[in-house]
Amino acid sequence: MAQPPLTGIKIADFTWVWAGPYCTLQLAHLGADVTRIETRTRPCVTRMLPPWPDGKFDSINKSGYFNQYNQGKKSLSLNFKHHEAKEVAWRLIKEADVVVNNFASGVMEKMGFGYEAVRKVKPEIIMISLSGYGDTGPYHEYIAYGPAQVPLSGLSALTGYKDFPPMHAGFSYADPNAGVHGAFAVLTALYHRKKTGQGQYIDMSQWECAMDLLAEGILEYTMNGREPERNGNRDPFMAPHGIFKCQDLPEKVMDMTIDRWVSIVCADDAEWGRLARAIGKPELADDPRFRTLQARKANEDELEAIITEWTTPQYVGDAAQKLQAAGVAAAACADNKYLCDEDPNLTERKYWVELPHLEVGVRRHAGIPWRMSGTPTAVKSAAPCLGQHTDEVLAHLGYSAAEIETLRKKGALD
Amino acid sequence: MAGALSDLKIIEVGEMVSAPYCTKMLADMGADVIKIERPGIGDRARTRGPFPKDEPHSEKSGLFLYLNTNKRGITLDIAKPEGMELLDKLVAGADMLIHNVVPPDMDRIGLTYDRMKRVNPDLIMTSVSPFGLSGPYRNWRAEDLTIWCAGGVCVLNGGGPTHADLPPLKTFGQQAGYQAGVHAAVATMGAAFARLNGEAGQHIEVSAQESVASQLEMTFEYWPYMKMIATRLGQKPIQPVETMECKDGYIYLCCIEEHQWRAFVEVMGSPEWADEEIFKDRLARGLNWDVLKVFLEEWVSQQTVLDLYRRAQAKRVPFAPVSTMGDLLGSEHLKARGFFVEIAQPVAGTHKYPGAPLKYHRTPWEIRLPAPTLGQHNAEVFCGKLGLAQARFDELKRKGVI
Repeated sequence: MAQPPLTGIKIADFTWVWAGPYCTLQLAHLGADVTRIETRTRPCVTRMLPPWPDGKFDSINKSGYFNQYNQGKKSLSLNFKHHEAKEVAWRLIKEADVVVNNFASGVMEKMGFGYEAVRKVKPEIIMISLSGYGDTGPYHEYIAYGPAQVPLSGLSALTGYKDFPPMHAGFSYADPNAGVHGAFAVLTALYHRKKTGQGQYIDMSQWECAMDLLAEGILEYTMNGREPERNGNRDPFMAPHGIFKCQDLPEKVMDMTIDRWVSIVCADDAEWGRLARAIGKPELADDPRFRTLQARKANEDELEAIITEWTTPQYVGDAAQKLQAAGVAAAACADNKYLCDEDPNLTERKYWVELPHLEVGVRRHAGIPWRMSGTPTAVKSAAPCLGQHTDEVLAHLGYSAAEIETLRKKGALD
Repeated sequence: MAGALSDLKIIEVGEMVSAPYCTKMLADMGADVIKIERPGIGDRARTRGPFPKDEPHSEKSGLFLYLNTNKRGITLDIAKPEGMELLDKLVAGADMLIHNVVPPDMDRIGLTYDRMKRVNPDLIMTSVSPFGLSGPYRNWRAEDLTIWCAGGVCVLNGGGPTHADLPPLKTFGQQAGYQAGVHAAVATMGAAFARLNGEAGQHIEVSAQESVASQLEMTFEYWPYMKMIATRLGQKPIQPVETMECKDGYIYLCCIEEHQWRAFVEVMGSPEWADEEIFKDRLARGLNWDVLKVFLEEWVSQQTVLDLYRRAQAKRVPFAPVSTMGDLLGSEHLKARGFFVEIAQPVAGTHKYPGAPLKYHRTPWEIRLPAPTLGQHNAEVFCGKLGLAQARFDELKRKGVI
């Protein structure tokens, strides 16, 4: 049977937090051999963030955050205060096809692993930096944290309820977006190298990558000199186009009431007619207040109130199902419990990954969003504990058991 | 030098964002993409704008013009048997077929991998769909909003402690489409690389819902790990990580690490209130945000955005402006990096567009062609490339196939 596409491709993974690990996660999904270079002296931020199985931080190997985005990778622990540790990293780089990092611009150079240094010993290396601002430009040394990249990109200014201040995306969206674009870049560079033998360096700015997602906003400005207005969940060409209240989750979770919502869109008048019938008000299909898009836009508050009246007493899964059965675009505004326990689609498509992890056992994690018929891809293993593969990687790099022991005693493998 | 992907020939049957963004990424790196649109109507993105002077025009939609750079455009009705036969011919000479025809329409018109594989065994066919080609939601209707919701991100945004009544809030634009598109580009390039290593062609299917559900930060794992539900409501555990209004716009305050808070306090001139016990660490500041917020709002409201941004960054505090579109176009940093590109298109005119997401040092990202007008390359592709006789071409046009 055919191997996954990147079988045999080795990635020296200097990334941390989310953007870089999301990049190398895609490469691991495609079968690459990804080795994370970590250190006990300063573990990846996500190793110290929740969720943890018992609700408390008692191990750097138990974070659901880290364990989600580092599936299928190895972990090598090195303390670069020791020159022997740098020597290990150099051996790893010499064996690697790709070096990935998401430090601020210039940090890899300070560590001694800048592109110029690396390509001297390995001209065909592919190296990518997913920095916040890119390697050039007056702000290239500025630092970027995930949540701040959303407002920086312009997405916040465009996102929000009407007449309210700018809002966030609710997650550090620019991080995974940079990661997945970075994975595309690595694949493009691997393709080029396979054809020509040439390696290269890729300078990626998380900021720029995020601006590629808001062309509509940018073009409103460059075409018409105007800042787009924030308008909640509404859409100029479709109505209804919104998120409507459903029944709360019957049981409280951690003393909180969990509110639930369903998203509904009618792309045209026929779909509106189907919705009107589905909610038991067929007369509204031809009601002059709602018959045409223009009318529905003019009476959108009233339109949304009528739909809300129908959705509010219902279980969100039922509301979506009934509307879909009638031929209307609708889906639960899924929370994490809904995704995990109540969405039949993801389960039936075997999207979830449940592999044994040394410290957290078997837990459900998000899987691979594609299926390949010829070179099937699957998550190989749960995320590594810190340093789990140190001995294995060192042995592979040619270190004897005695040498490994010496390195460990010196603290080079901390 | 030629683009990294200049030897790849791609046929796109794409609407709106997902498949078109995937092929744009490949085309901008050199691939030869022929985009198929429905005769007379074209891609729905042509109707969405923004339009210069707000005048709707199928050749002037900003969304379409952005997503379809470097592609040649033809019209073909693949729902008609003669149209499907021409698609076969195009696919026979291509490396990839990338589409987002929804599953019920794939069934209806007979667009299957089995058919395409018979035409071209080396073909990589990528099918991007809202919920995947299998599973109970396979035939569900979808728009960007419903996928963004079904993937589990939308519930994380909006409301906040003071506006629990407001619904979850979508992020601007067509984000589910972009994410499905870029994940599809990754999988497709994986298959292209495998083919260089001697593997055969294959079928890839990409689910937009799953692409979104792949990037839920740490929120998904709260359920399998702790039986907790992540919500947009409730207090943030650490502060300040928040948008605030300055004299001339909004800034995003971001103090994750303690040293960042201490540096910010210095930027503020070390006011006495900052020494209060209730602000002693990030968790305390989270718990007492109601109080802290009042102090900060007052001070921030007297600052200007760029000045505060620069002073914070000078002390390694990762604040960011809440950039308006005008801020982005005027940014000295983005100008120095040459991010925005000017593209001239014969009907829509010349405008500035977002440019390269990545700077490759060896293989160029470049705009060789503006987005095609509807059917612009019909004669070139059907008569030139496929060798259709003029009479047959005219006949198919009359029948509405082309």
